Amino acid sequence: MRRREGKSIVATAAAWLVVLTTIFPLIWMAITSIKPQAELFRIPPAFLPESVTFEHFEELLENTPFLTYFGHSLVIATSTTVLVVVLGVLGAYSLVRFSYPGRERLAILVLFTYLLPSVVLVLPLYLLMVKVGLANTLMSLVVAYTTFSLPYALWLLRAFMAGTPEDLEWAALVDGASRLGAFVDIVLPQMLPGIISTAVFTFIVGWNEYFYALVLVNSDSARPLTTGVMNMLITSFNIEWSLLMAASVMMSLPLIVIFVFLQSYLTRGFAASGIKG
Amino acid sequence: MAGISIEKLCKTFGSVTAVRDLDLEIAETEFVSLLGPSGCGKTTTLRMLAGLDFPTSGTIRIGGRLVNDLPPGKRDIAMVFQSYALYPHMTVAENIAYPLRKRGVPRRERDVKVMEVARLLRLEELVERKPRHLSGGQQQRVALGRALVREPQVFLLDEPLSNLDAKLRAHMRAELIELHRRIGKTMVYVTHDQLEAMTMSDRIAILHGGLLQQFGTPADVYERPANVFVADFIGTPSMSLFEGTLHRGAGCLEARIGSLVIALPEDHVAWAGTSNTLAIRLGVRPEDIFLGDTGEPAVVKLVEPTGHENIVLLTVHGLVMTARLGADVRLRAGEAVRVGFRTPKIHIFDRDAGTRLNGDGPSRVTAFPGRQSIGQR
Amino acid sequence: MTSAVLGGAASVRPYSLQRHYALLGMLLIAPTILIFCAVIVYPLVTAIYLSLFSIYTPTLQGNWVGLANFRDMLGSGQFWGALWTNIVWTVGTLSLQLVFGIGTALLLNQNIWFRSLARSLILFPYFVSTVVAVLVWRWMFNDVYGILNHTLLAAHIVDMPIDWLGHMPNAMVSIIVIGAWKYFPFVVIAVLARLQTIPPQLYEAATIDGAGVWGRFWDVTLPQLRDVLVVIVLLRTIWDFKEFDLIYLLTGGGPVTSTQTLPILVYKQAFGLNAMGTASTYAIGMLLVLLSFMVLYLARVGRGKESA
Repeated sequence: MRRREGKSIVATAAAWLVVLTTIFPLIWMAITSIKPQAELFRIPPAFLPESVTFEHFEELLENTPFLTYFGHSLVIATSTTVLVVVLGVLGAYSLVRFSYPGRERLAILVLFTYLLPSVVLVLPLYLLMVKVGLANTLMSLVVAYTTFSLPYALWLLRAFMAGTPEDLEWAALVDGASRLGAFVDIVLPQMLPGIISTAVFTFIVGWNEYFYALVLVNSDSARPLTTGVMNMLITSFNIEWSLLMAASVMMSLPLIVIFVFLQSYLTRGFAASGIKG
Repeated sequence: MAGISIEKLCKTFGSVTAVRDLDLEIAETEFVSLLGPSGCGKTTTLRMLAGLDFPTSGTIRIGGRLVNDLPPGKRDIAMVFQSYALYPHMTVAENIAYPLRKRGVPRRERDVKVMEVARLLRLEELVERKPRHLSGGQQQRVALGRALVREPQVFLLDEPLSNLDAKLRAHMRAELIELHRRIGKTMVYVTHDQLEAMTMSDRIAILHGGLLQQFGTPADVYERPANVFVADFIGTPSMSLFEGTLHRGAGCLEARIGSLVIALPEDHVAWAGTSNTLAIRLGVRPEDIFLGDTGEPAVVKLVEPTGHENIVLLTVHGLVMTARLGADVRLRAGEAVRVGFRTPKIHIFDRDAGTRLNGDGPSRVTAFPGRQSIGQR
Repeated sequence: MTSAVLGGAASVRPYSLQRHYALLGMLLIAPTILIFCAVIVYPLVTAIYLSLFSIYTPTLQGNWVGLANFRDMLGSGQFWGALWTNIVWTVGTLSLQLVFGIGTALLLNQNIWFRSLARSLILFPYFVSTVVAVLVWRWMFNDVYGILNHTLLAAHIVDMPIDWLGHMPNAMVSIIVIGAWKYFPFVVIAVLARLQTIPPQLYEAATIDGAGVWGRFWDVTLPQLRDVLVVIVLLRTIWDFKEFDLIYLLTGGGPVTSTQTLPILVYKQAFGLNAMGTASTYAIGMLLVLLSFMVLYLARVGRGKESA
């Protein structure tokens, strides 16, 4: 069956049934977001909208702080990504290609912190933010997201770094480069796919984060999308479903962009993360 | 002026000793091979020469200058890696130009030199390509080009031919010899292939277990192996080696291996000590065994014809030995023959120390293999 | 030999180039270590320290109570109840993830039409924000207008809309299923990556030896997958166990406390009941439970590195 030439119709049908069932909730989300309010609450509901409307998106962008939250999320996720990738690339280079006492133990410590539950760190971080006056700032979330992103990025980049041939760097040294020169000229270009993968992962995780945002930010001046949307559209009395679905679609936009343009980096990062060690 | 002088070089990795007390003097313009089985310390030695590994102790001088603390780029060396280590994101021209760029050579001059080297190595057509679009042989030439372009005093080559197929390897061997003759620079060549070492080198340093076994010309190491390890390692098929005893009689020597007795001239062994008996290992190269009408009775065990010769396994007095016989000699397994030995070419080693005892002048032993390497025979 | 080694060791002196490289290496990792200390090590130590206090969250005033918090925790039904809920949730959702993950991976490993598109679409639930996932599911769960209830009613499977999240055992089943939906793509990708490295000769040999489809699965595929499955189970156990967002956003731990896992208990203690000391104690308790899995995983990965 495995080696048979040609495509299998049965397997195709089964696989696509699974795939479509899996992504149905997300399709339903997109459909709901473009249905007029009246169609939304019709019984029985129609699968496809009879008329397409973008009024919910307009409403969301014009009459709610959605764009502000979107901006916050963008700033937080991007800052975290830049910070974590820069530190991670340098750190991974150090962990893989240098030898000094304590290096192996450090690598294991990184992996340990990668597994550490946020719940354990969140209370001390909350106290710390209050103490240094960072509570309710975008900065506090960048710092908090570093706690899980940095170990993760280090581990990922370390795996990528270990996969690039050492000889290239030695050759550069013999050719007259310094260690840092070889790093810039040779190692970085080699690492580029790994760096993009790591950046994409870090960005998505930062973009999606909810728990730290819930605990550390309690004001609209720094609230990211995740807590912002929940806070804005869900009150005890009323849930704005059409707006929520429109917001969900908008929130998934970066993800969709990444899927369309950077899909291969996503899969590559998957393979290097934790599973292979 | 740009010779290499290695003194008391040691390298340990944790509890493993890779190189032990290595002394090596390599003359300017000399082509020297570091030869040995894998794990013998040859690559580690080369990497210490390059500055990619750090000696645990000992000194390295290149052109009289102590280089222990110099970074690789300041040692006036170039290196060709087994993997070629071509920078995948650079074109052939950029690869070759990289060492010049790192030395601040202006662009115009760089371009001229790159084209010069590309012409020398017949790479002109390929300069704009990326390494992954080149064949193995072409990649190998680019790696050479990158080493050549800055005209270093010393070339270090780490098994540069081992990734090529057999035919291309023979061709590149000839090209390298020609290159060395033309540029006249010191070359240190690491290989595990004795054919490469024998055909290309001025001198060969044979390493085993981190110890230098012998350092001499190809003829030296073949005709006067310093110890049992070298004797066994050099030559294909290997020398036949047997444990036995050597007895001093009136005016002649007698080697006894079981019931086989070989008479040798008195000066064949530089005899030390007062005892009239020595525990020895006796070695015979395949080409030093010949068929005759008289001589020791032998039985043919196996014939391996290679086309231009026959490699024949013989049983002589219960001892199995390998002989190299002409292609015209027709033998069948089981056939009874008589064999003789070219006695002047018989090698005698101390059974315990493994060192050469033949009286052919001062032996060039610089280290002893101990018994572990030869215990199996 | 011994003397050579000793002789070498006696004259060891770190060459300046080597020392220079080591310094450079440490310099490169130094910022990371500093940040690690500030945002991970320090909070971790503080968490342990806090667990020895009784702290009122709004004022952050605390009294030293020593190990009393831990005594209370072990004596309270709340901790054990949450731990049990946590185990039910983890085992339930992880089992589903494994079954669906392996099954889907096997399907997507077949020679099917638009295979790479299918492989990338299946990843969506995993990468989509938990907030988005929860909103969509809650919309589908809606009692009046939700598509799930509507479909079930129309098909006459039920005659009353189901309250998916407000009743037990519905709530637990719902979070387990949604958790499985969200995280099974991880298993799919990990297993798929491994499946692609199984040499086809193994299958050919098994076929020649007379193995059928099932035989090949049990005797070739599963043994080949064993190592990656162990790692997946360890990682996902740790991650599912500490899951907060999904459960909190779906049920908030309810109805009452029937889906209240340890992370939610910690959050509620700290910010609902304003007992930050007790919350820290629960967090440390949870970490201790997780520690065994973390150590197993570390040992596993550490061993893999040695053999590589």
